[in-house]
Amino acid sequence: MPAPCYILALLLTLCFTLATSLQLRMHSISTGTPSDDMLKAVLGDGRRMFANHYFVKADVYFHSGYYPSIFEQGAKAPANARHMVEEHHDEGGDHDEHEHEKAMDFLGQPKDWIDRFGRHFYSSTHSHLDKPGEAREILPWLRLSADLDPQRIETYTVAAYWLRGHLGKVDEAEQFLREGLRANPTSYEILFELGMLYSENHHDSSRARNLWELALRRWQDQDAVNRPSVLQRWEESKDVGDIQPDINIYLKIITQLALLEEGQGDLRQALHYRELEVKVSPLPELVQVEIDKLKQKLASPPISAPTK
Amino acid sequence: MNTILDIKDLRVEYRNRAIGQTTKLAVNGLNLSVQPGEVFGFLGPNGAGKTTTMNVLLGFVNATSGSASLFGVDVREPIARQRIGYLPELTYYYKFLTAEELLRFYAKVFGIPRAETEKRIDELIKLVELEPARKRPIKSYSKGMQQRVGLAQALINNPDLLILDEPTSGLDPIGRMKVREIIQRLKNDGKTVFFSSHELGEVETVCDRVAILHQGELKVEGRVDDLMQKYKANLEQIFLRIIGYQPVAVS
Amino acid sequence: MNTIFALAQVVIKELYRRKDFYVLFILTVLITLLMASASIFHDDKIVRYLKDICLLLIWISALVMAVGTAARQIPAERENRTIFPLLAKPVSRAQVIAGKFLGCWLASGMALVVFYLFLGLVCASREHEWHVFIYLQALWLQWVFLAVIIALVLFGSVIFAAPSSNATISIVVVISIWFLGSHLNTVALQQAEPMRSIIYTIYFLIPHLEWYDIRDLVVHNRPLVSGTICGLATLYGAAYTGVFLFATWLCFRRKPLN
Repeated sequence: MPAPCYILALLLTLCFTLATSLQLRMHSISTGTPSDDMLKAVLGDGRRMFANHYFVKADVYFHSGYYPSIFEQGAKAPANARHMVEEHHDEGGDHDEHEHEKAMDFLGQPKDWIDRFGRHFYSSTHSHLDKPGEAREILPWLRLSADLDPQRIETYTVAAYWLRGHLGKVDEAEQFLREGLRANPTSYEILFELGMLYSENHHDSSRARNLWELALRRWQDQDAVNRPSVLQRWEESKDVGDIQPDINIYLKIITQLALLEEGQGDLRQALHYRELEVKVSPLPELVQVEIDKLKQKLASPPISAPTK
Repeated sequence: MNTILDIKDLRVEYRNRAIGQTTKLAVNGLNLSVQPGEVFGFLGPNGAGKTTTMNVLLGFVNATSGSASLFGVDVREPIARQRIGYLPELTYYYKFLTAEELLRFYAKVFGIPRAETEKRIDELIKLVELEPARKRPIKSYSKGMQQRVGLAQALINNPDLLILDEPTSGLDPIGRMKVREIIQRLKNDGKTVFFSSHELGEVETVCDRVAILHQGELKVEGRVDDLMQKYKANLEQIFLRIIGYQPVAVS
Repeated sequence: MNTIFALAQVVIKELYRRKDFYVLFILTVLITLLMASASIFHDDKIVRYLKDICLLLIWISALVMAVGTAARQIPAERENRTIFPLLAKPVSRAQVIAGKFLGCWLASGMALVVFYLFLGLVCASREHEWHVFIYLQALWLQWVFLAVIIALVLFGSVIFAAPSSNATISIVVVISIWFLGSHLNTVALQQAEPMRSIIYTIYFLIPHLEWYDIRDLVVHNRPLVSGTICGLATLYGAAYTGVFLFATWLCFRRKPLN
């Protein structure tokens, strides 16, 4: 065997030894998953920008390409996950739908013939992914967004909402939410969505209750110093037109807990949650009606023994 | 007899774009005519204006003043070049094409019918002895082979006038001999050849008439025999005398 | 016309004997198939993101190919001096420009057909249906877009000596027009005079290349653009192509070639 071959073999052995020892060291230093680390190393904080871009892309798909550019400053369409999720909730009602339609009318009248003619070549009418199964088209971008920024919570909640609610993929939704929970162990939004999944899809009330109670605790624990004052401020000067997302999720958790307890027959607990709800709800008069009903039920003797 | 190539009071100036630079006079008041069937040698030292004159004849450069015509048609008209063949000094062909494809392309440019094209290609490939390499891309050819492809493309339209710019430059003695034989054959076929060369022996052998250009001006023009008789010298001596070359004694 | 077609054939031969097209096509295929192989929530019917990515790659590849090919045509003829034996034939400079344009345009068209066939295959494998007409319309409009670009780049190639600088400047100009051109009117309205008039003039002068990009309509299964509108857009593109080719000829016709 000639000398260069020996040198080559020696160098290869050295490289292999170094690689194995470095791999061990790297493994001990590393805290996240390997792919997460790699993306972090390659893109740095820039990955959040890309993640945001892909999240917006999902919203663009949700509107079948009809979406304002940076030049359409009047439009307030995109911004957050609530928009993509709540547009399909009936609770929002006609008011929200109308508001959204108004916000998405960013094109206005054509300014000149070039503008008028150009509108034939891009999506210039507002529509959503309404046909059955069409919502699946937003998923790749949400998946990509989650891969790039695992700390972006709304990616998990939006994807899970569509997966379990419209595409019948409950297992995938649960898996994705759990993935999100591993990356964000204190997230009450993900816990809430997971509770919704157990309640609506698995019809498992006890696990749903556990998850929502945990979500409520997490919500209260998070930023524990400032939380009471924020809540107090909201209770004092709430504004129907501008619900803060943070309060909104709190409202959702206690509403769901109230409904669940009422369904399970634990009216006292339901009343407790309704009393919490009335303080923060933008429509307290409606909640008050529910409270009155509960009080009435509690005053009258029970017909049969409640099951929990 | 109709004049094939006619140049009258040709003047070509090159404008220098640099500020403060003067124009350069490349050709000044050139008058020249070539008759059918002649082999015309266009001589001169480097920078004399030979290539500029040829460039005007081929429409690459516009004359500042004066006129030039081929077959009675102004050289600025593309149709004037319908009956000419041109061989540039160096090989400038699409190297990704094969010899066959290159010849087919030029045949198409001349509007030669397809059947005739194939026949002509076969003849020319045989003439320039490139049969074994006809399907190989030109980039794989030696310099001599590329020069022979050049000659074949110059002949694709069976031209009445051939303009050859230093046709033997850079060729080995065998290559030169072959080119000279081809020119001789063309002469025998009654073709008109207008060519520039530094090989004065070669010019003396094949040319009927010559013109010697120096610093953009025509110094001498006439039949080779007449000039040799008039100056009592061979072409090389005449050339050196005209351009004012003084030999330096070497000890 | 024979001469123009002969010249065009040489350009096409050059393109398919170079490796550019193959490299870009293989890259497009690899990236698209890689994206297609990813299992997203175990759903194998998701197709729009694939269309989106594949179309983006097609647009990038076609633009790079068209600009690269057109930018080097005339400078390469001059640098390699192949223009001399060519113009020594009964070929006018206008024919050279027309032949080069036609060659680049036809070559781009052939490349587009291959790319769109691949797109069609990928989408059909997921959707189990062929949206032939919208693909054909997208292909046609992109081809018209490339005609304008090729003419613009040819014009640049008689102005800028180096093909690389011409290609770079052309790509910057094209991308700027493509993405910002349609918004210039909005920008103009926010400016005070005389900027408003200047921006509006630019807005009306530039070719509106964004019209030819109907990826949005293809991706989101929107309806076809009407034939009349498509025809008008083609005429608009043809007019700009003509303007650029005429400008190229004006600059090239008296250019000394020594």
